[in-house]
Amino acid sequence: MSRLKNNYENSRFHRFEAWMAGDTDILKGKLEIRRPEEPEEQEIELDETKINAAVYDMVHNRELRAFRILYRLASVILCLTLIAVLLWTVVYLPKFGEPDNPINNEVSARYIEKGVEETGATNFVTGMILDYRAFDTFGESCVLFIAATCVQVLLRLDDSGSREKQKKKRAEENDRIYEPKNDLILQKVSCVLVPLLFIFGIYIILNGHLSPGGGFSGGAVIGSGLILYLNAFGFKKTERFFTDRTFRRITLAALTFYCLAKSYSFFTGANHLESGIPLGTPGAILSSGLILPLNICVGLVVACTMYAFYTLFRKGGM
Amino acid sequence: MEWIQFGVSAAFLFSGLFMFITAAIGVNRFRRALNRIHAAALGDTLGILFMILGLVIWNGFGFASLKLLLVVLFFWIASPVAGHMISRLEVTTDKDLGEIEVKRLESGQDEMPLTENRKTEERS
Repeated sequence: MSRLKNNYENSRFHRFEAWMAGDTDILKGKLEIRRPEEPEEQEIELDETKINAAVYDMVHNRELRAFRILYRLASVILCLTLIAVLLWTVVYLPKFGEPDNPINNEVSARYIEKGVEETGATNFVTGMILDYRAFDTFGESCVLFIAATCVQVLLRLDDSGSREKQKKKRAEENDRIYEPKNDLILQKVSCVLVPLLFIFGIYIILNGHLSPGGGFSGGAVIGSGLILYLNAFGFKKTERFFTDRTFRRITLAALTFYCLAKSYSFFTGANHLESGIPLGTPGAILSSGLILPLNICVGLVVACTMYAFYTLFRKGGM
Repeated sequence: MEWIQFGVSAAFLFSGLFMFITAAIGVNRFRRALNRIHAAALGDTLGILFMILGLVIWNGFGFASLKLLLVVLFFWIASPVAGHMISRLEVTTDKDLGEIEVKRLESGQDEMPLTENRKTEERS
């Protein structure tokens, strides 16, 4: 077997193929090749005042000076005009609380009259944003996810270069050595506060259709609990349960579930079909159909996004 | 009875307002960061207690006022710790602290002794 393979490797066709693919260097051993030396990195000193003086020659350049003065004047005038216009508009706004204001139309009347009956949520606001206008909320959750992804693209750690070089670069960029670490007071307090924050956030999310609150606020509370835990105990502890991969999985699963569930409900509703999702009795915790699971999805996305923003801005990765 | 309730709650609210105004003046008047933290802590602890006690008395005792008292508890736990962390950062970063004496180790280290956790974090 090995002999055959050997033969094949020496065959003319194989050599031709390798030459075509660029695997062999035909000039190898025939030319004197010297690698160009890498230029040494020079440190350039930046003196901002000197640069400014060179770029904006304020002493000799009349035009520039005039432009600066004009620029400042124009900005002040623009601000004042904007303030005046906005105040002028405020005068013409309808009075607060009048019954025949344009906001009191048939839409809000319908929400108030039939909201509980149609959505099953005693909290009108949640019934509105997660039932009547559920696709709007879906867009908002997607915006959060996209924002986190964009920050990840922009602030990603630069992994190119050799390991030594990278280490040096990290050490130069690392100004977190001044950060207080392993503070005993903070650790003890976060031991008390973090579970309470989590429980409170979960309470807000689960009671979103009964009382003020919902996915966005509860998710923010849970995210702040995660950030507090991270600040107290460092990345080593949080990386055990929350990494880049968990972030991606949780957000993707939540968004996909939201999309599918709400598409199904909208599809059946538009075609006058029975959706088969029970609304339950208004006021009970397991009621109002899809609103509770959708709230949980939104809360997960918001919590993950908050934590992701914090970690990305702090060290460029999760 | 109602008038007594109203008066007591108003007195509490005004004393809370007084604490907050004092805190705001202190934050704006003091020059050093540590002094400012000290001034701001005044409003975050005593001021918020007075304010919420006033609101509780106004509202009457019930489930909502229990929640308000929980807010006070949360603030009392969270705000001094936040102040402590900021002041610690200030102590480790500010080279010129004036007449305050701080025991410092070499630059780039905290004034706390290294714990095991910290060592492992630095090694990685």
